[in-house]
Amino acid sequence: MEVVDHETPSLENGQTDKEVEENANVLQFMDSMDAYLTLIHSLSSTLRRGWLELASARHSMGASRVNTVLLDHTSHPAATSLLVTQDEGKVDSGKPHFTLCKWASSSNENSLLGEKQSSQDKLHPQLRHRGSTELYEEKTSSENKASREVDDPVQKERSKSLSMFGTLVSPKLRAAQLSFEAALETLVEIANMRSEMLCAFDQVNMKLAGRKDEK
Amino acid sequence: MANRVQIPTSNSALIAMIADEDTVVGFLMAGVGNVDLRRKTNYLIVDSIKQIEDTFKEFTTREDIAVVLISQYVANMIRFLVDSYNKPVPAILEIPSKDHPYDPAHDSVLSRVKYLFSAESVASGRR
Repeated sequence: MEVVDHETPSLENGQTDKEVEENANVLQFMDSMDAYLTLIHSLSSTLRRGWLELASARHSMGASRVNTVLLDHTSHPAATSLLVTQDEGKVDSGKPHFTLCKWASSSNENSLLGEKQSSQDKLHPQLRHRGSTELYEEKTSSENKASREVDDPVQKERSKSLSMFGTLVSPKLRAAQLSFEAALETLVEIANMRSEMLCAFDQVNMKLAGRKDEK
Repeated sequence: MANRVQIPTSNSALIAMIADEDTVVGFLMAGVGNVDLRRKTNYLIVDSIKQIEDTFKEFTTREDIAVVLISQYVANMIRFLVDSYNKPVPAILEIPSKDHPYDPAHDSVLSRVKYLFSAESVASGRR
């Protein structure tokens, strides 16, 4: 006669809810660690590209023109900064979330709003895509106009950032700037993945410690 | 909720850098550089170990910095300081440099979690 244990509810494959949760935590930890290492690898290749382009620019413009001596030491705010918020996943997770704000300054609030609008449109294109092709063409031309309006202040900020190296700079220097911008985006993803990994690690550690105490 | 960690939130936090010349110049071109009214910067082009230690301590205690980028070979020079740091913000990210590729074995975050993969932790869990 089979004795059924009512104290620990079991699932079809014999696992308890507790074991399922533990496995989920371990999987989350492994996934976040894998993503962290993949992002670091991607960062390495982006940085290598940036260093090579910077070296090419130094070669074509001359070492005296691409030099730390030319850096702007007068008081100025950072054009690229971070938005730090508490992660909303769990109330007591204590996990920070980082968002990159590229080329954001007091004069570029409109460009940020424009970027938000265009990104929202990209997320929900089908909500507005109805009716005739004329309507679609009007929408795409207005989107292009919005993205051009957004890009102009951003291009101005990019040029201002390079102005310390002179008015006319090598295309390689501009390419290096874009590579380091891409590296910044990857770094913010790495920062978020790092906090996720450490949070999952704490969960797994707590379960292991609890198991040791029980024994 | 005694163990809840408060994350200092900010809408314009800085990215600090302790790295070699090319890495710092590259990220400065990306608009990360900040110089305050006292002419204090959020970056250091690596020179002496003492300066690296002082700068690391300064960057990790400043409230306006959210992320500190540090070249891994520089982090290795002050490994005791980097490994003993455990606050969520600012986040310390070890990055490769031109002459020193990234080594996961030295990363402080991965070192912290790697014991989970050791034979001891697996054996103690099975006992």
